[in-house]
Amino acid sequence: MEYIKTDLITALPELTVLFMAMFILLLDLFIKPKNRIVIYGLAQFTLLAAAYFTVVTYNPSVGYAFSNMFVDDPLADILKLMTFLGTSMMLVYTRQYMQQRGMFRGEYYAMVLFALLGMMIMISGQSLLTIYMGLELLSLCLYSLVAFDRDNARATEAAMKYFVLGALASGMLLYGMSMIYGMTGSLNVAEISSALLEMNTKNPVLILGLVFVVAGLAFKFGAVPFQMWVPDVYQGAPTSITLLIGSVPKFAAFAITIRLLAQGLQPLAVDWQDMLLIMAVLSIAIGNITAIAQTNLKRMLAYSTISHVGFLLFGFMSANLNGFASSMFYISAYVLMTLAGFGMILLLSRQGFEAENLDDLKGLNQRSPWAAFLMLITMFSMAGVPPTLGFYAKFTVLQAALQAGFIWAVVFAVVMAAIGAFYYLRVVKLMYFDAPKDNARISAPVDMQLVLSINAAALLLLGIMPQTLMQICGVAIVISLQ
Amino acid sequence: MIFNDFIFYTLAAILLFAGIRVITTRNPVYAALHLVLAFFTAAGIWLLLEAEFLAIALVLVYVGAVMVLFLFVVMMLDINLDKLREGFWDYLPMAGTIGLLMAVEMVMILSGKYFAPTTVASKSADYSNTAELGRVLYTDYLLPFELASVVLLVAIIAAIVLTLRDRQDSKSMNPAEQVLVKKQDRLRIVKMDAVVETPSVEDPKADKEKS
Amino acid sequence: MTLPQISLLIVLLPLIAAAIVGLWGRHLPRASAHWLTIAGVGAAFVLSVIVFKATLNGYTANYNLYTWLTSGDIQFNVGFLIDNLTAMMMVVVTFVSLMVHVYTIGYMSEDPGYSRFFSYISLFTFAMLMLVMSNNFMQLFFGWEAVGLVSYLLIGFWYKRPTAIYANLKAFLVNRVGDFGFLLGIGMVLYYTGSLDYATVFQTAPALADVQVTLIPNVSWSLMTVACILLFIGAMGKSAQVPLHVWLPDSMEGPTPISALIHAATMVTAGIFMVARMSPLFELSTTALSFVMIIGAITALFMGFLGIIQNDIKRVVAYSTLSQLGYMTVALGASAYSVAIFHLMTHAFFKALLFLAAGSVIMGMHHDQDIRNMGNLKKYMPVTWITSLVGSLALIGTPFFAGFYSKDSIIEAVALSNITGSGFAYFAILAGVFVTAFYSFRLYFLVFHGKEKWRKTSHSHDHVHAADEHHHGLSPQDDPHEPGWVVKLPLILLAIPSLIIGYIAIEPMLFGEFFSGVIFVNDEVHPAMAHLTHHYHEILHSPAGMALHGFMTLPFMLAAFGVLLAWFFYMKRPDIPAAIQKKFSLINQILENKYGFDAFNERFFAGGARSLGEKLWKIGDIQLIDGAMVNGTARLIGRISGKVRHLQSGLIYHYAFAMIIGVFLFLTFFIKIN
Repeated sequence: MEYIKTDLITALPELTVLFMAMFILLLDLFIKPKNRIVIYGLAQFTLLAAAYFTVVTYNPSVGYAFSNMFVDDPLADILKLMTFLGTSMMLVYTRQYMQQRGMFRGEYYAMVLFALLGMMIMISGQSLLTIYMGLELLSLCLYSLVAFDRDNARATEAAMKYFVLGALASGMLLYGMSMIYGMTGSLNVAEISSALLEMNTKNPVLILGLVFVVAGLAFKFGAVPFQMWVPDVYQGAPTSITLLIGSVPKFAAFAITIRLLAQGLQPLAVDWQDMLLIMAVLSIAIGNITAIAQTNLKRMLAYSTISHVGFLLFGFMSANLNGFASSMFYISAYVLMTLAGFGMILLLSRQGFEAENLDDLKGLNQRSPWAAFLMLITMFSMAGVPPTLGFYAKFTVLQAALQAGFIWAVVFAVVMAAIGAFYYLRVVKLMYFDAPKDNARISAPVDMQLVLSINAAALLLLGIMPQTLMQICGVAIVISLQ
Repeated sequence: MIFNDFIFYTLAAILLFAGIRVITTRNPVYAALHLVLAFFTAAGIWLLLEAEFLAIALVLVYVGAVMVLFLFVVMMLDINLDKLREGFWDYLPMAGTIGLLMAVEMVMILSGKYFAPTTVASKSADYSNTAELGRVLYTDYLLPFELASVVLLVAIIAAIVLTLRDRQDSKSMNPAEQVLVKKQDRLRIVKMDAVVETPSVEDPKADKEKS
Repeated sequence: MTLPQISLLIVLLPLIAAAIVGLWGRHLPRASAHWLTIAGVGAAFVLSVIVFKATLNGYTANYNLYTWLTSGDIQFNVGFLIDNLTAMMMVVVTFVSLMVHVYTIGYMSEDPGYSRFFSYISLFTFAMLMLVMSNNFMQLFFGWEAVGLVSYLLIGFWYKRPTAIYANLKAFLVNRVGDFGFLLGIGMVLYYTGSLDYATVFQTAPALADVQVTLIPNVSWSLMTVACILLFIGAMGKSAQVPLHVWLPDSMEGPTPISALIHAATMVTAGIFMVARMSPLFELSTTALSFVMIIGAITALFMGFLGIIQNDIKRVVAYSTLSQLGYMTVALGASAYSVAIFHLMTHAFFKALLFLAAGSVIMGMHHDQDIRNMGNLKKYMPVTWITSLVGSLALIGTPFFAGFYSKDSIIEAVALSNITGSGFAYFAILAGVFVTAFYSFRLYFLVFHGKEKWRKTSHSHDHVHAADEHHHGLSPQDDPHEPGWVVKLPLILLAIPSLIIGYIAIEPMLFGEFFSGVIFVNDEVHPAMAHLTHHYHEILHSPAGMALHGFMTLPFMLAAFGVLLAWFFYMKRPDIPAAIQKKFSLINQILENKYGFDAFNERFFAGGARSLGEKLWKIGDIQLIDGAMVNGTARLIGRISGKVRHLQSGLIYHYAFAMIIGVFLFLTFFIKIN
């Protein structure tokens, strides 16, 4: 029984989230609709408590639990803390939106917490099995959250697509994992890695497994050619859920990519580097070019996500610690930008009105200079205009790729980023130079305004002083991967 | 060993046939029944592998419970699966080609020498497949096992959230609520100054401030 | 106060003023907008003069203020390099900016965006100062982009005019092309020298003179040539050299004060400044210098031609700016960097003057910009008239005026240069002198002399501005009035340096020690400048001597001929130009189409990019993956798109199929290469 106890202490944050999710589910039965704000408070409290336990149990070394299926290393701790922060911000942004649309229900918060649990499991997954289970848990929550506004035909359709394609991708991932298990005889990523070192890495079955694993991961990120679901789901889902899908789960996707590719399949790096290169280049090209033709803001941000994923893969494909650290930096920057971007859409939406077309941003500066300025920073950051965070993030990943020798790919990415700047700056143009289409007052809760301002300010400040975040990413990667 | 091989190939052939029929047959009931057949043959193969517990569980759970339920659903809902399959023949040439190519490729990869048969040491007579499974499940694989339960829980919640809805036009009464009702639930006493002349002007303002 | 503190203040004061006015301008009294920003820029000007004095006495400094981040061995700093070149630019920028600030009080007095405008031009001053004071490439690039950004904001200032928005977008897109080259150039410099710091780069550069780079297999170029040409492409964008010049004429959609400040005096000269600053790099590549010279020569001549047929008063001045920028570029190509900077300075004064005078005319004419509706304004607007005359005379290079010294030096330097293309360049800029004189005085005569044509016209609005309610033009019975002192004072203050600055400054700047240690010329390879100095000291002796000698040279004759011809054509026999126009309709058409650059860009680049995006979306996403790959028949696409509305659409199949194809291709590819 003793070993179970240490295991449980290691997984204290996960247990907190699990317990609270179920508690919220039960409490919701006994609480009156007008008091539901309590549930919101409880969800935020859960995040705080989980963060507290993560910090308290932090130690700068690598620990294992549950028969080496669960790992507690600095990478996991830091990614979890970032995930908590992102989820907390997302809950702040979405509260009013959900209230106005009759989706402010206990199940929403329970589902978000279950999804969070899935992400945490993925982040700490050390075995193919736990990684897969975490992924399924997360996906299942996301599928149902997309359809949460169940009378909305578009949302249901998006959920259906997401579900079918997600199931296919899960199947591919599982198939790939089974091949790797078949060849190496182990589910544990560390053991897989050591087994591979003694094998012929040109083994076609391994490549087969690798291709399927990479396909599964690419789906989760939304990299070309596994990106088809992204625009439809981003556009179809309620904006609050799009915000969730687009932001924090990318941390988990990043983590499992590190666990699977960097820790488990590192001996096959030569192959997956090329796969990532192809996907990265395609993603940047298709994402940026297609985004230009969009008139729907959510769809445009979806294509923008695809291009961001391309940049993220640039860090990965250098297949060294520096590259992984730069990818981690990029994903943090990306999540912050996405939160701000969709946060702005939520801010501009109101009862019975979704501010999701580009035209809805017209003349924002005249309606609210504050909102326009926040959006300006966000767009600049997404476009990678110095000195914003987005610029530095792009800079580090491209530098990592350059050092790894992908010169032409980097040149290509820079060209594409320049093209991409066009559609971000078009948003700025709409806000500052066009006449507003509607003049409704922008009203939002004070906490949302505050957090959104801090979010945008962070995009600027972290761009000017990126060293601390960069160091955190570097340390987490170095300690955890060595 | 030859008899074993014979059984295996027979079962495998039936399994493949049943699998193909599931997706090709036009009548959904037949499809479900073919699925039952597939489960049975799969259970047979597991028996050959000496995984008795899994084989029995498969038959009991899937055939006994899930498929029966599924059959009921199919019969009750009367889904026109034909409509879902519209365009099948349009897609077939392209999809078939790619599928075939993919299959050939995978056969070429997997049929190589990589999965050479290994002889498994035969277990002693008192070896219990079930007990061993249980032990592993609750020790080494505790975490995935518990996670599986969470996944199932989420699936249940999701299904309920997405489908259960209170009927708006329901005229049912809840006696308990009716008994428990208090005066202040139904009646609101508003204190007003006697001198206020135009209360109607003040009201909208107050409302606005609230919102 | 120490000089570093003063330098910092020079930069910060305009920024602070811009921030205050920009963020709280709407809540402050209207007048505070101009008082605050004028105080900021005025103080910056005074302090710049102090710094300039110090540099004249030998003060130079190169220091970092703040380290943004360190990445490997590379540091990204914010720092200042203060030397004669910087200090001179600071004085010019702050002076012209101050003049424009004062002028704006009059020009924009009725505009609703009053405080916004002041905030922008102050912000621009800050960005421009950051650009010229930078001691490293990163900050240079920052300033480069920042001035560009403010320029777009100001071009689109009247955002309700569709033409302004279009011009704004055009400026943005064209500059992206230049910036891309510039960025690549900086990247190459960084890659090969490992540093962004000017001093370090210039130190290591000579060692790289013989390095060859191979961009395409089997073809190698000199590293310095590639890097310099890339950097120069950046300059071409910002300084509007052919073929990246197309945005500058359209930028005249912005209010006139910014045309004077940004699109004539300061920002567009950033490219010239940058090349001069990089002289240690450019000196290493004669090929790059030839390239620079030829581009400059083409710009100088052909953009001048376009000035002849323009009827919008601002556009005439805009094309003359283009042509003068070409002159500066030619000087750079001839390794006469100091001459280019000298011309930059004199041009800043007289071109700002001409623009502000044009603005004054526009105000007098009630925002009618068509010179065909003007005439005899000298009677109504004497100050504008005299100052315009001074500006025009300076522009065409009349001896003793500022423009004469700089322009004549350029022509001489090119004559003495021996690099490839200098022959063509010499011809181009000589011809340019005639063209400049012709269009300048065409403008001058049409506007200030002749008949009062607005009285007759049945009010043909300039069609471009017809949509705008602010631009009515003058009605036939009204007299134009000269605006108040806030407009006249800057004109007079700018006219003074346009008259005398050349006489004062030529000796120290070109032939003295002013730029020693700042601008580097390899006299052995590029001896033009040395010859020029020699020539000056041996034959001309003094500025006055140069001017007297100037009366006997070919450029002066050409200019005089141009003026006479303009007088003859537009004062004496106005029927001749019309006849010529008819006779040579083809040439006229070519000129009216601005050599077809706009049409080409519109169709090829803008249209190309747009349709590429659309095509990739339609063909790539919808047809190729969704459609062609799946079923390949248009019939089915039609059927499927009909079903998309239903939940059970064919689309999921397509998506899933795309995924499977992806896996399949990956599998085939990677199994194969193993």
